[in-house]
Amino acid sequence: MATSDERDWTPTPTDGVSTPTSTLQAHTEEILKARYLSTHLNAAANANQEAAKKPFEPTLNKNSHVQYLLRNLRQGFPARYISQEASQPWLIFWTLQGFQLFGFGMDGNTKKQTVDTILAMQHPNGGFGGGPGQAPHLLPTYAAVCALAIVGQPGAGGGWDQIDRDKLYDFFMSLKQPDGSFLVAHHAEVDVRGIYCLLAVATLLNIITPELVAGTPEFIASCQTYEGGFGNASFPGWALRGSSIDPSIARPPLGEAHGGYTFCATASWVLLQPYLRTSYSQEGAVQPSVNLKALLRWTVQMQGSSIELGGFKGRTNKLVDGCYSWWVGGCAGLVEGLLGGGHSAKAEDDAVDAKADQDNSLFNREALQEYVLYAAQHPAGGLADKPPKPADSYHTLYCLAGLSASQHRVMPSKERRATLESVYHTEPESQNDGLRKEVFLSALSWVEEVGTAKYVGGAESRLNATHPLFNLTVTHTENMMGHFYKQRVPVWNPQKKSS
Amino acid sequence: MSHITVDDLADAALLYCEKPEWQDVTPVPQYDGILFNLSVDVLIVVLADKDATDYFRAVVKSDEISERVLQLTEDIIRLNPAHYSAWQFRYRTLIALKSNLDAELALMDVLAIQFLKTYQVWHHRRLILTALHGASPSESLDAAAKELHFITRALDTDTKNYHTWSYRQWLLAFFDDEALWEGELPYVEKLLDVDVRNNSAWHHRYYVVWGRVRANGEVDQEEVLKGEIAYTKDQIAGAPNNPSAWNYLRGVLEHTKQPFSSVQTFVELYAAPARKTAEDVVVDLDNPGPGPDAHLPCVAALEFLADIYEAAGGEQKKAVEIWKSLANEHDNMRKKFWEFRIKDAST
Ligand SMILES: [Zn+2]
Repeated sequence: MATSDERDWTPTPTDGVSTPTSTLQAHTEEILKARYLSTHLNAAANANQEAAKKPFEPTLNKNSHVQYLLRNLRQGFPARYISQEASQPWLIFWTLQGFQLFGFGMDGNTKKQTVDTILAMQHPNGGFGGGPGQAPHLLPTYAAVCALAIVGQPGAGGGWDQIDRDKLYDFFMSLKQPDGSFLVAHHAEVDVRGIYCLLAVATLLNIITPELVAGTPEFIASCQTYEGGFGNASFPGWALRGSSIDPSIARPPLGEAHGGYTFCATASWVLLQPYLRTSYSQEGAVQPSVNLKALLRWTVQMQGSSIELGGFKGRTNKLVDGCYSWWVGGCAGLVEGLLGGGHSAKAEDDAVDAKADQDNSLFNREALQEYVLYAAQHPAGGLADKPPKPADSYHTLYCLAGLSASQHRVMPSKERRATLESVYHTEPESQNDGLRKEVFLSALSWVEEVGTAKYVGGAESRLNATHPLFNLTVTHTENMMGHFYKQRVPVWNPQKKSS
Repeated sequence: MSHITVDDLADAALLYCEKPEWQDVTPVPQYDGILFNLSVDVLIVVLADKDATDYFRAVVKSDEISERVLQLTEDIIRLNPAHYSAWQFRYRTLIALKSNLDAELALMDVLAIQFLKTYQVWHHRRLILTALHGASPSESLDAAAKELHFITRALDTDTKNYHTWSYRQWLLAFFDDEALWEGELPYVEKLLDVDVRNNSAWHHRYYVVWGRVRANGEVDQEEVLKGEIAYTKDQIAGAPNNPSAWNYLRGVLEHTKQPFSSVQTFVELYAAPARKTAEDVVVDLDNPGPGPDAHLPCVAALEFLADIYEAAGGEQKKAVEIWKSLANEHDNMRKKFWEFRIKDAST
């Protein structure tokens, strides 16, 4: 059994200067250390002789988390969720996707009920609201469509063909601003979360057009701050000339670099690559750019130290929090993909030889897994920010998704892309097929890299892989996109190649 | 999230279904018997919430514009400040009724402080300030100045509140008046005096100094740069292991296209494994050194120095040495990243 003194417990240096930030930081470090030590003590007390000989690794208490999700599903959500009446699709999505990560299917009746529940939130003018009768909004629209990807299917009552995509497109266009951004709802704010939600949905449902996303890459790029991460929006006023933007004038980011916005901006940037590739080349137009090195630096800087158990923070000098396991940990994978770090030739050619360290990840995957396993698991089930916070649906999903993202490397694969392209067929009547095809191939080229999975705590901790752009399983993503792009998606079976 | 208590509900003694002035409206219930029903143990809150929102759905359906809609949406917002549909409908009603928007801001002051972390409270204020500006740009400056004070009050209770800061930055740029901007730098300095690790304050500093778009020649850029570098060096000297200050220093140099090597002498003081002894110290006012309690070497300084070496050309080896020491000793958590830097520099 590993003893606690093998771990580096160096506190964050304060240089003899105590401020509110360092006080809170030190307090949190004590809490995390205590949690680690008590986990080891409990394990030692419960271990039989056989187990006591092996070094201890924390494991995922799957059973208690599944029970937590089931409680939400059966009994309804606890009182504190009432204030989220406006975000019912989110509660549904968080719960359903949690089950998917554990590999739990739903019975037909539950699926049907859920589809009906979600469809009741579709607005007559397109898009989904936070509840029935509520105005449509980009955030619940993402949650609703992703939930439908999980429980829905084509055909009458299946949910997929009942999404009014024409009206949804009109709704999206009605939110568009002169600076390339989108309001999250009518009379509401602009921020990159809404843009991510819009792009993810438009990609899944095959409604991306050049008209829809014109100016959006420039807007995203303008939200990158001097720290390398992204803020929530930028100020367009100085650059605005009537209804167009003067590219020579700056649009400063509003709000500091932040994990949630950085994930959304980075995922948006990835989702916009097909448009950037197909629309800027011919005109010789100036491509907007994101500083990827600065983004990578910021992302890895958010990983806490050993005494913080390797969790991620959401901003410089703030505290680690389980949900950033996904927002920042997941983002690290997206940045690696943008930097060209796809499946290494070695991994694809020689899938069986997993002994060599093929881990090309740029953040500490084991450490992040440890944070989720030690610090984010609530003893009564469900996952949380950190001790002693209660578990909630939001943290349960994003801690699990972050754990999954640190277990599996889902990366763009040239081989997968080539396979998809070889069977891609162009619809005779389709417009914008260059863009459409590129969107389809790019999104689905993300597959798990063979031989690179790592599980702290062994198979007991294993979760399913999740698509880094949508936070759906690759299978659900493929099924939904195959349907809406009218394409066959061949099974991905990379193992064959190595034999 | 559990900010609703039974006390809050005592004011709203009558449910909407019991109020005589609402008898003409047929409430629209959400839906029946589907997944995710709320449990009965939270009956009171649910009842009030459900009651108000049932009536809300009814007025949305009938597109009602009236004073009582303002009361209804206020009640809903008090129960559930994230109810964006209620905010949206409230704003529309205020504009349609040509309501007094100053009064609306005052009414919302309490809510904003109470629900500091909710997006909607800040966005609603932004809409109202925009409407006031549209009505009379010059008169609205007073409202903007008042608003800046209000934001300061809100930040007093939570100095890192994201939405509040973001809103403050929007307000400054939108009204873009010298009288509003001029207090910002002293304000930031006050906050950094209290907590030099407050990254929100550093970001705001960057926004105020470098983000603001001004006419050419309005300020002497060189002077500003000198001042900012000096200020940041002082802050680093006071608390060297502060990533916020180092990030600001990097940001300023990158923005003004100054090479990192322009601060090499300073950085070396913090990349050294220990402080120079008193007799070795040559007093250099431009390059304040670390204090006696400083934890050295400072990881951010090591990284900075390696960046200087990498950019210099021919000093690759020295950069690689530093990255190795970061990977294996000083910043082991980011081992993979430092190894990537080594690989990246060699290609
Ligand atoms: Zn969190």
